[in-house]
Amino acid sequence: MIVIVLVVIGILNIFSADFSMNDLKLNPYYIKQIRWAFVGLLAMIVAFSIDYRFIVRHAYVIYGISLLLLILVFLYGTTTHGSQRWMTLWDFSFQPSELMKLSVILVLAKYFNDHKTVRGYELKDLWMPSFLILLPFLLILNQPDLGTALILVILFFSMVLFVGIRLRSFIIACTMGIVMTPVGWFCLKSYQKERILTLFSPEKDPLGTGYHIIQSMIAVGSGGLFGKGFLKGTQTQLQFLPEQHTDFVFSVFAEEWGFVGGLILVFIFFMLILWGLRIALHSRDLLGTLIAFGITSLIFWKVFINIGMVLGILPVVGIPLPFLSYGGSAIVILMMSIGLLLNISMRHFILKP
Amino acid sequence: MEIRDRLNGHEPSDYRQKVKFVVVAVMVCLSVLIFRMFYLQIMRGDELKQKSENNSIRFHKIVPPRGLILDRNGVVLVDNQPSFNIVYIPNRSKDIKDTLRKIEKIYTENSMTFSFDSLLNKKVRPFVPVKLEKNVTWAKLAVVETNSLDLPGVNVEVLPIRKYNSGKMLSQIVGYIGEISPKELNRDESGHYSAGDLIGKRGIEKYLDQYLRGKCGAEQVEVNALGKTIKTLGTIDPIPGDNVFLTIDYFLQKVAWEAIDGKAGTVIVMDPRDGSVLAMASSPSFDPGLFFGGITVDEWEELSNDPLYPMENRAIAGQYPPGSTYKTIVAAAALEEGIITPDTTFFCDGTFALGNRTFRCWQEDGHGKVNLHRAIVESCDVYFYQVGKLLGVDKLHDYAVKFGFGKPTGFDLPGEKCGLIPSKQWKLNRFKEKWHQGETISVAIGQGYNLVTPLQLLNAYCALANGGTLYHPRIIDRIETPGGKPYRIFEPEEGGTIPVSKKNIKILNHALWGAVNERRGTGYILKRAKEDVCGKTGTSQVVRLPSDEKARRLKQMELRYKDHALFVCFAPYKNPEIAIAVVMENAGSGGTAATPIARKIIDAHFHRNPIIEKQPVIAKETRRKGHG
Repeated sequence: MIVIVLVVIGILNIFSADFSMNDLKLNPYYIKQIRWAFVGLLAMIVAFSIDYRFIVRHAYVIYGISLLLLILVFLYGTTTHGSQRWMTLWDFSFQPSELMKLSVILVLAKYFNDHKTVRGYELKDLWMPSFLILLPFLLILNQPDLGTALILVILFFSMVLFVGIRLRSFIIACTMGIVMTPVGWFCLKSYQKERILTLFSPEKDPLGTGYHIIQSMIAVGSGGLFGKGFLKGTQTQLQFLPEQHTDFVFSVFAEEWGFVGGLILVFIFFMLILWGLRIALHSRDLLGTLIAFGITSLIFWKVFINIGMVLGILPVVGIPLPFLSYGGSAIVILMMSIGLLLNISMRHFILKP
Repeated sequence: MEIRDRLNGHEPSDYRQKVKFVVVAVMVCLSVLIFRMFYLQIMRGDELKQKSENNSIRFHKIVPPRGLILDRNGVVLVDNQPSFNIVYIPNRSKDIKDTLRKIEKIYTENSMTFSFDSLLNKKVRPFVPVKLEKNVTWAKLAVVETNSLDLPGVNVEVLPIRKYNSGKMLSQIVGYIGEISPKELNRDESGHYSAGDLIGKRGIEKYLDQYLRGKCGAEQVEVNALGKTIKTLGTIDPIPGDNVFLTIDYFLQKVAWEAIDGKAGTVIVMDPRDGSVLAMASSPSFDPGLFFGGITVDEWEELSNDPLYPMENRAIAGQYPPGSTYKTIVAAAALEEGIITPDTTFFCDGTFALGNRTFRCWQEDGHGKVNLHRAIVESCDVYFYQVGKLLGVDKLHDYAVKFGFGKPTGFDLPGEKCGLIPSKQWKLNRFKEKWHQGETISVAIGQGYNLVTPLQLLNAYCALANGGTLYHPRIIDRIETPGGKPYRIFEPEEGGTIPVSKKNIKILNHALWGAVNERRGTGYILKRAKEDVCGKTGTSQVVRLPSDEKARRLKQMELRYKDHALFVCFAPYKNPEIAIAVVMENAGSGGTAATPIARKIIDAHFHRNPIIEKQPVIAKETRRKGHG
């Protein structure tokens, strides 16, 4: 239910973001999004009907396919906005990195399910899953898509923390992380560095890098308590907002629906997360718990990072908002994930045969 | 449930704790988002709302046409004409270099040149227009317009610029305009000016800027993020600047300028009846049109470093020893003080001894026995040495000041110099030295410390011409609204009367008449059949050293040590209507170098070509058309 509400809100919102440009485009985004949502619904039903244990049994195969697709994208993918993220088959573009997120969840769940410990994992136990993450991480980072790559890493840490890690190992991992930070900084593309720097002083270059943040903050802020009303957001309708139907879709929403609308939206997401966590808790087995937790944390992190970025408290890293941002692969994968959650939820009472 | 969990080897109690922790963490994170939303939307809502409106609504300034500057008859001296700039408005992510190359290619196809090296390294900011070329020709304009489809972001900007019809002949008076400098912007307290405005930098353009500039209009438009206008919300029409009418007579100004063009000097023509300046030319001059769109460094250097100071208006800022033209003033003072009568005579043998020094008359053989009339007509130095000695420097000083010397005349334009009229007290203050009687002798013939501006000199003579009234010379006649209604009229202003009785004025004027009309008069070449001219020549020595006396006589000196030639006159003798002062720098004697120039103007004035008389009417009509 919650999901349907979110998808409908999302489509309406994209319609609004689209509204200003519909004279330019024959095939507006919201129509596409509706089409994708139906595809997603189909995917959800499929994911729901097949027993998740069956799916997980083939986790490595799925992971392998995802990895292959990523490599294919790396070799033949189409380039938009300076990054090579899409695969185009006929009239149909697809973003394998989205699929990768789900694959990673499945693979990690399987791995931790197969290697249970009681007292928490040690570093040596984590080499394998780290490696599983590292491959797609590097490929996605190379696209370059810092946001998605980051999500993978955050997802990994969330899951590792959730299954339990020894304190000593945790400390060592943290230290390594801190040491690696300058190296990572060195590897970032200059535009990514600039984005992080402008977060601290967006006013420095209002028409350049800070443009996104400032325009977004103005859009959100000008919404006030109740917003300007559907289709009435001036920032949006006059196209001051860049990427208003993808990464900055929340500012469109916040401008038109105000604080109240934003509050409700955040609350809906909170409900979704609670629901996901409940499923994780009440799952019949560890496998279900892990998958449900992984999916929930994926959604949570995406929501948190996206809204945080729109509100100007996190750097602009290009992570879409689940269900609201335009993006075919994303919505299909998300609906599929929801299908998996339903799957786990439904099968929690079935005893092991 | 626990049984079931055990069966599966699942330990939910362990995870229950963790999930609780996760829920708390999620709540904290989402609360942060909500607080931030609250901060932006509720606490800063109004401010950001304002910003969003500023973002989408922009004001475009509409620059009004600047007021015209016209002469007394309505001849347009300074006009407006459109100029075309080619600008480039960069899009986001677009590179200026591509566009520059494209333009170059198109230009080369049409065999035109385009230099853009300076633009290549310019940092381009999105939406901020870059000026590619200023003041382009029609041909280039046509090329750019026809290829506009291939040149996205390239626009033609139309700006009104000043057209100085009067060219160089009035530059120092009308001045010029230029882009407001940061310094001027800081000084401005009225808030009427903003960066990029064109403002008057000199002369009338500067002094009357507040009238000429008009009031900017504005257009409120709604734009999208690309800066493209979606719709116009409202327009405030600009108010064109007011037109300034000068007292200048273009016809006389032209004659005056042509007479001195190529030499160094100044001519002023005034109406002695009300102090209106009919012509005021100062040479060398400059082209005021050089300044719009920015003058090059070289041109500026050349102008400002020119040893002849083309930017200076010599008529009001040039200070010269008045030479013999000063004798009339000395005579007036002596007559009024009763030191001499018209019949007082002195004997001139060519020399005058004071103590152990000998002063010479310009006529080496002497004038013999001279009375006042002959002394002025023939400009006898010895006569005035005698008078000066009797009068004393302080008395002379007092009269000179009352004739308007030693202080600004109250002219309409700023930049007037005071000149210098020495007195005993002045020398004591200045040099901490006592006054020597010998110096009085020099002062009595307009040499020594004496310095006057041409305008002061002419103004003093005008007072003699009109019977004693000293006017503040005026050059601004009136200001009219663009519709032709008078807005402000500048009336002639009296600045006092000279302390000379009518009878004595008559005596002096007759002597001045004699100087031109009597056979031995120094200005005899100006003698005319119809209208009687009264005038006085003057030759002011640049070098006062006695050792140079000989060299001067032999005219074997460097140009810059040559004497300045002066001539002041008015005509006709009865009821004068025109007065002229001529000062030619380093030109030689007043009689030979300055009087011919005055003659040209007098001729022109009294033999006006009727066709030229009609010209102002035509100009007036075209001007009205220009304003619609």
